[in-house]
Amino acid sequence: MSTAPQPPESPPSKLPIATPDFVLRNNYRHESQRIQRDFEAVGSGLASLSSRTRLVDSLTLTLWEQCFSRLDQGCSLLALGGFGRSELFPYSDIDLLFLTENEACGEPIKPAVSSLCQTMWDCGLRVSPSVRTLADCARFDQDNLEFTLSLLDCRFLSGDQSLFERLHAKYLPQLIARESDALLQSLSEMTQSRHQRFGNTIFHLEPNLKDGPGGLRDCHLSQWIGMIVALSSGHRDLVSVRQNSACGEMLDAMEFLCSSRCYLHYRHGRDDNSITWAAQEELAARGIATGAGAVSPAEWMRLYFRHAKAVYRNSSQLLGQVSRERSSLYRSFQHWRSRVSNAEFSVVDGRVYFQQAADAREAAPVLRLFTFMAHHGMALSPEAERRLNDAHSRLAETMPQDQYLWQHLREILALPHAANALRAMHSLNLLTHAVPEFETIDLLVLRDLYHRYTVDEHTFMAIEVLHRLKYEKDSPLQPFAQLMAELEHPELLFLALLLHDTGKGLEGADHVHGSLQLTTAAVARLQLSEEDAATVCFLVANHLEISSTLRRRDIYDPATIRELAGKIATPERLKMLTLMTLADIKAVNPEALTPWKAENLWRLYTRTAGHFDRSADAEGLDAKTSADAVEKVIALLPAPPSEVLKFLDGLPQRYLLSHSPEQVAQHFTMAASLAAEPVQLRLRPNSGQHELTVVTYDAPGLFRTLTGILYAWGMDITRAMAFSNRGSVVVDSFYFKDRFRTLELNPPECERFQRSVREVLTREASLDRLLESRLKADLQPVKLTVKTHLRYDDACSPRSTLLEIVTQDRPGLLHTISSILTHEECSIEVALIDTEGPVAHDVFYITCHGQKLTAERMRAMEWALTAELADALPSNW
Amino acid sequence: MTKLETVIQPSKFDAVKDALIEIGVEGMTVTEVRGHGRQKGHTEFYRGREYTVDLLPKVKIEMVLPDHLVDRAVQAITTAARTGKIGDGKIFLARIDEAIRIRNDDRGENAL
Repeated sequence: MSTAPQPPESPPSKLPIATPDFVLRNNYRHESQRIQRDFEAVGSGLASLSSRTRLVDSLTLTLWEQCFSRLDQGCSLLALGGFGRSELFPYSDIDLLFLTENEACGEPIKPAVSSLCQTMWDCGLRVSPSVRTLADCARFDQDNLEFTLSLLDCRFLSGDQSLFERLHAKYLPQLIARESDALLQSLSEMTQSRHQRFGNTIFHLEPNLKDGPGGLRDCHLSQWIGMIVALSSGHRDLVSVRQNSACGEMLDAMEFLCSSRCYLHYRHGRDDNSITWAAQEELAARGIATGAGAVSPAEWMRLYFRHAKAVYRNSSQLLGQVSRERSSLYRSFQHWRSRVSNAEFSVVDGRVYFQQAADAREAAPVLRLFTFMAHHGMALSPEAERRLNDAHSRLAETMPQDQYLWQHLREILALPHAANALRAMHSLNLLTHAVPEFETIDLLVLRDLYHRYTVDEHTFMAIEVLHRLKYEKDSPLQPFAQLMAELEHPELLFLALLLHDTGKGLEGADHVHGSLQLTTAAVARLQLSEEDAATVCFLVANHLEISSTLRRRDIYDPATIRELAGKIATPERLKMLTLMTLADIKAVNPEALTPWKAENLWRLYTRTAGHFDRSADAEGLDAKTSADAVEKVIALLPAPPSEVLKFLDGLPQRYLLSHSPEQVAQHFTMAASLAAEPVQLRLRPNSGQHELTVVTYDAPGLFRTLTGILYAWGMDITRAMAFSNRGSVVVDSFYFKDRFRTLELNPPECERFQRSVREVLTREASLDRLLESRLKADLQPVKLTVKTHLRYDDACSPRSTLLEIVTQDRPGLLHTISSILTHEECSIEVALIDTEGPVAHDVFYITCHGQKLTAERMRAMEWALTAELADALPSNW
Repeated sequence: MTKLETVIQPSKFDAVKDALIEIGVEGMTVTEVRGHGRQKGHTEFYRGREYTVDLLPKVKIEMVLPDHLVDRAVQAITTAARTGKIGDGKIFLARIDEAIRIRNDDRGENAL
C-alpha cells in the first residue's frame, strides 16, 4: 500500500475525453507496441513494467473522467495487486477497487463501473473490478485472503481521496493489527500448498516463474510478510518496508524474474509463466536478464536457479521466523528440539549454529555439521551459512584432503535426513569439494518428457525416497521398506545413487558409461575397500538393468529370471539394485512410480530372490564361467593354481558369488592348515555384529553343533551360510548379534569363545553341558506373532531336497531345527539362514544318506519340526 | 472408423508401438492394467509364504483408425506381440460412428 497517491515518474497524460473508443484503443495498442519494442531493444523488465503501469494509469484515468464525471463524490478508484505495485506485466489482470463510503453509494456507480470495464475489455485488458465499502475492506475473510493481501499493495488513482486516506490510515492498519496472526497463518498455509503443488522444489526442468517455489510470488510473499509485521507493530511507511525487502540478492532476483516474465508474456501472448524448453532457448539466445548477452540454455537455467534459490531461501526463512514468533506450540517444539545441541553445534529455533566460529573453516567440523543435520533434520542458520561461505576457498583445499572423508560421507548418506543435508552442502557448493564428480550435474537441465527435475535434484530425491520408505504404511511400497531394513551396507547404495547419473553431464549418448567412469574415480579417491568399490560400481553400471527387464522382458518367463539372476549374482546386490530402481523411477516425477510398476518390480524381485534360494546348490562352481573370480583368488595366493581349484571343486556357484576373492583366499589358507589344526576359526566384527567363519572337515551334526555352541554363548544368529567342497571341507559363516555384549565388554572372552568352539568340535568339551545353563536361562515364553510355514521343494536341485522354514525367531531356533535334521539322519549340504526382524527364514538343502528325502522321511521330519516349533505357538494355532 | 482395443504383455509394448508407428498409426492411448483371460493366475512363493497371483500385469492400447488401416494394424500387433504362449493378449474391434476433434470441431476421419 502506498502512503499517499504516488505520482508516477512522469504524470499520466490524459487522453482526450471526447476521443471515441476506437481512438482510445488505437492509442493504447500503439503505446503497448512501443513498450514491447523498447523491451525487446533494451531487455529491462522493471522499466517495461513501469512504462506499462503509466500507460494503463493513463487509460484508466481517461475512462474514469469519461464515465464518472457526472457522479457525485463518494467513490474512490484504487489500483490493487501488481497494478497497485506498479508492476504491471503485459498480460496480467488489472485489479481495480471502486471504494465507496457505504452500500448506498455503491448502487449508483454500477453503470459507470460497467462502462469503464467494458471499454478496458475492448482494449484487450483483462480487468478484474470489485466494488467494496470501507467496512468490507476492514473485514478479514479467511476464504478470500487474496483480497486482503491485494489491499497491502493498493494505490490511489482517482476519485474521493479522503476515502483512500481513511482506508490507508485507519481501517487497514486496524485490520492488520487485529488479524495479523490469522493472516500470517493463512499466508503460510497458502504458500505451503502452492509449494506442494510444485513438489516443494525449485529444480523443475520447466519451472513456473510466477507460482513455483523461488518464483515472483515468493518475492511478493517476502514483501507482504514485511508489511504485515510492520503494520502490526505500528509502522506506517510501507514503501520503505517494500524497498527494504527487495535489496541485495533479492533485488537482483526480482530484476531477473521480472525481465524473464515480461519476455514470457510477450512470447506466449498471454499470462503464461512456464519456462518451457522452447522458451529457455529463446531467453538464452536473446540474453534476457543475463547482463552478458546470449548464453547457452543450460547456463541461462543455472542463472535462473541461482536467483530462485535466493528467493526461496529468503521467503522460507521469513515464514519460519514469523511462525516462530507467533506460535507458542511451534516455539515449544523448537525449544524441545534445541536440546540436541552439543559441544560443537547449538540449535536455536530449529536452526543449527557453530558453537565455535573457527570450526567453520575446518573440513572435519563442517562435515560433522552436515552429519548433525542429516541426523536431526534441521536447517542451517543464516549465520552458519555466512561462515561457511566465508570459508569457502579454504574448505575447497582442505575438504578433498580430509583422510576421513568417506567415513563422514557414509555416515551422512545413511542418516534419515541425508537428502536435506546433501542439498544444503550442494547449495553452498561444498558437495562438489567432497565429491567433485557431482559437478557435472550441477543444476543440469536435461530435456526429457518424463523427468520433471534437474539431474542433481532428481538424485537428492532418489536418496530421499529410500529414506522415507519406512514411513510407507499400507502402500505398494511397504515391502520395499523391509528390503531396505535388511541391507548390510545401505551407505553403498546411497553412494551409488549419488553418482548414478553423473554421466549425464558428460558428452556422449551413454550416460551409464560416463557415470561408471566417474564412479570408479570417486570410489578410488574416497578409498573404499575393493569389495565396497566393486559393489558401488556394479550398482551404477547396472542401474537400468531391472527397469529394462521390466519393460522389455516377460518377468514370468523363467529364462528372464535366470538371466537376470546371473547378471546380478548375489541376493544382497539384488536387493540393492531393486531399491535403486524403485528410487530412480519414483524420483523422476511424482506420478512416475504407479502402483502397477511397483507391483511388477516387487514380483520381479521375489521371483529372482526365489531363484537364488532354489539354485544355491544346483550349479556346481565352474572355473570356466567364474574364470575372473577364480583368477583373482589364485593371484592372491602363493599356492599352485591346481591346489586352489581342488579346494573350489564341489563348492556351489553361490559360494563364489557371495564371497570376495580375499575371503575365498583366506578360506583356502585356513583349509590348507587343517592338517595342523583341524578346526580353523576366524572371528571379526562386521557391521555392528560378529562374523564367525569355521573351516573344518565335515562331520555328522556339525551344523547343529556349531549353532548349539553359539546359542550356548547367548549369540543370536541373524544370517548363516554353510557350504562344503568335494573333499568334505566345510566353510560355514555365521553372522550373529552378541545379545549380552559378552565379547564387546570382555575382549579376553573372544579367545575363550573360540577355544570353546574348538573344544566342542574336537569333542574335548561337551555341548550338552554348555547348553544346560543356557536352556534354563531362556525358558521365558516367546511372544509369537509369526506363523510357521514349512515347504519342501524336490525339483529345484538334482541331488538335494530343499526345505524352507519361516517361523518366529527365538533364541536357539537354528540349533533346534538343525538338531531335528540331525536326529532324522539328514545332512545339510547348503544352508542359507536369514532373519528379518521377528521372522526367521531358513533354507536348507538336505540329503539323507546321500540321496534326496523320501516322502516318508519328509512327513516324519515335518511332524517333528511342526511339533517342536509349535511349542512356541499359541494354543489357537 | 474402427476402434481397436488391444491387451498385450507389457514386455511387448515397445515392439507393438514401433510396429504401429511404422504403418502410419499416429495416436494411441495406453493404460497400465491388470487382468487375466484363460491364462488365469498362478501361485508363487516368497520366503516360504504362498502368494496367489491371479491378476497379471498387462498393457492396454486403445486407438481409433480409419478403416483402410485396420487390417494392417491388426497384422502389425499380432506379429509384434505374439510369442505363441498363453497370455499373449487379445485385440477387440468395434465400429465407431463419429469422431470429433474438440479444438476445431473437425469430424469423421479428419478428426483422427
